[in-house]
Amino acid sequence: MRAPKISAVLLSLAALALFSLTTAAQPAWAAAKKTRVAFVLLESINDQGWTTAHHDGIEYMKKSLGNQVEVSYTENVLSPTDAERVIRNYARQGYDIIFGTTFSHMQPMYKVAAEFPNVKFMNCSGFKTRPNMGTYMVRVEQGEYLAGYMAGLMGFKDVGTVATQPIPEVVRGINAFTLGLERGLTESKTKFDPNKVNTIVWLKSWRDAVNETTLAEVLVAQKHDLIRQMADTSDSSKAACLKGVPAVGYGTDAAKYGASCALTSTIFQWGPVYTDIVKQVMAGTWKSEQIFSGFEGGGVGLASFGKAVPKAVAAKVLALKAKMAKGDDMSFVGPIVDQAGVERVKKGQKLPDQELLAMRWFVKGVFGKLPE
Amino acid sequence: MALSVDLANLALLGQIAVNSSTAVLLASLGEIVTERSGVLNLGLEGMLLLGALAGFAVGAATGDPAAALGAAAFAGALAALAHGFFAITLGANQVLSGLALSLLGAGLTGVLGRDLLGAPGLVLAAIPLPRLSAIPVLGPALFNQPPLTYLALALAPLLWWVLGRTRLGLLIRACGENAGAAYASGVPVRMVRYGCTCFGGALCGLGGAFLSLSYTPGWKEGMSAGQGWIAIAMVIFALWKPLRALFGSLLFGALIAAQFLMQTAGVQWAPVWLLRAMPYLLTIIVLTLVHASPRLRRRSGPPANLGRFFRPEG
Repeated sequence: MRAPKISAVLLSLAALALFSLTTAAQPAWAAAKKTRVAFVLLESINDQGWTTAHHDGIEYMKKSLGNQVEVSYTENVLSPTDAERVIRNYARQGYDIIFGTTFSHMQPMYKVAAEFPNVKFMNCSGFKTRPNMGTYMVRVEQGEYLAGYMAGLMGFKDVGTVATQPIPEVVRGINAFTLGLERGLTESKTKFDPNKVNTIVWLKSWRDAVNETTLAEVLVAQKHDLIRQMADTSDSSKAACLKGVPAVGYGTDAAKYGASCALTSTIFQWGPVYTDIVKQVMAGTWKSEQIFSGFEGGGVGLASFGKAVPKAVAAKVLALKAKMAKGDDMSFVGPIVDQAGVERVKKGQKLPDQELLAMRWFVKGVFGKLPE
Repeated sequence: MALSVDLANLALLGQIAVNSSTAVLLASLGEIVTERSGVLNLGLEGMLLLGALAGFAVGAATGDPAAALGAAAFAGALAALAHGFFAITLGANQVLSGLALSLLGAGLTGVLGRDLLGAPGLVLAAIPLPRLSAIPVLGPALFNQPPLTYLALALAPLLWWVLGRTRLGLLIRACGENAGAAYASGVPVRMVRYGCTCFGGALCGLGGAFLSLSYTPGWKEGMSAGQGWIAIAMVIFALWKPLRALFGSLLFGALIAAQFLMQTAGVQWAPVWLLRAMPYLLTIIVLTLVHASPRLRRRSGPPANLGRFFRPEG
């Protein structure tokens, strides 16, 4: 569920002009028996965040399926109008399956899918389906819960979060992180303020290196003991590192991009998801469905732990991860109380997917408001 | 929970306001000089990116701060020179040429910078000045900053002096106000304009290097994130005056930092979107005020020949 940010539109026009030249399809003769797969990407494959994660997934899929597939992609497809053109182009060229990697590709894809009943379509994080169009998403909340659990076990009880846009995907990430954090703090017998373990400050942008840095510096100066990066770029983590405060990265491995103090990063792994879907297409077993991939499907993961994470903590986190991978998803199991103290999930119950996808409230322990 | 307005918070706001606005300040000071000579260059966003990439690449390769900053300034000046060729020699539409430079800078750095993403490089950290940095509030804000911030802070009064109080400044302003008259009295108008445009580009390149070497170390695609457009708004907000640009940059920097600080205390002081639009809103308000008052317009309007092609024969 990503909306293009206005400030990027102008830049992207130029980038688009340059990059669209680089994404030409392979020659037709090579397509004889190969399954042809196309991807419509939101930003550049070098955005270090959302689209980089998808590109990593494409590379993973290409590696595991080898020369059985022919893959093309187009970068910087931000506007729905542009997306419609790119998707229709791929459909006309006879691609077997076309992936739209963001929420804003849903509507144009839904439209084009009706015109090409023999082409298969998959949209990331949307909800509209057709007999030839399904959706896929990763369970961000599982990685968030574990990262929070790790931080709690290490005794971090006043986290400062660099939040991006107030959409359900982000809100549920913040909530799951907080729930895991509280569980970790309770297990490590750390005293904490039940109304304020995770302070949220909104950036109102997916990536904005300058303001991410400014925000992280403010949070560090306010004595928050851990900086939670949620933006695509890792500058808030890096700013924290420079000030000697640890950080947790988001989307891709922040340590890889220079945030050496990152304890871990919650990462999106689209590779297994793409491989599974394309395999189904090759086998002729593909059908329209709504896929949610968590630890069990390999859709989410944690980057390797930083040096500051004690072995015992790492072991506990990995044990919980193994449990979750077996299907025991405890990221939103009751009792869960919201900021106002109202019980939202009863003891032992689990929030259904529809409510997770539409989440617009914070759990108790989150300090900060959800903008309208 | 209320936020205490104490010295620590004030010092923090001051330091972040000065630090976070350095790129905007350098770029807008450069653009003020360019525009006062009569050339409109809207390519700041592109020149920031070119400077950021050049500075980072050379810094990573050589580890030499002087070489890195030199490369950044050179990249910015070179891009400005290209704009100058279209604007000053060919007489092309300056708005279009500037916008093209912004788009070109974004696309070109996106392609050229691919291999440098996430790479470690040179970092120009803050250098606290002995004794001065110990002054409460002002010390951390003004005397514990990276080198380019000191440069920007020093340049604002220097350019005010040069533009307003020296013969060189008079020549520059003459080219921007009435190029024909300046030429008639022997001023090499096109040369002055080329010089000012390249100087503006060099400062903008340094602004980019501040981002990639100091404030947000590392190279990221599109890392200027609109700072160039804010700098263009800043030139208008400052009514083409260097000292007002210094004041405006600090004000915008402080506004952003203050709203983050309020959020940490649970205070939603103003909608975030409103604050993000503030530089542009304030600029429009200032423009409206200037237009509404003929007296102000005479004293503080744009240079009369801004963006106008000058052909020596004509």
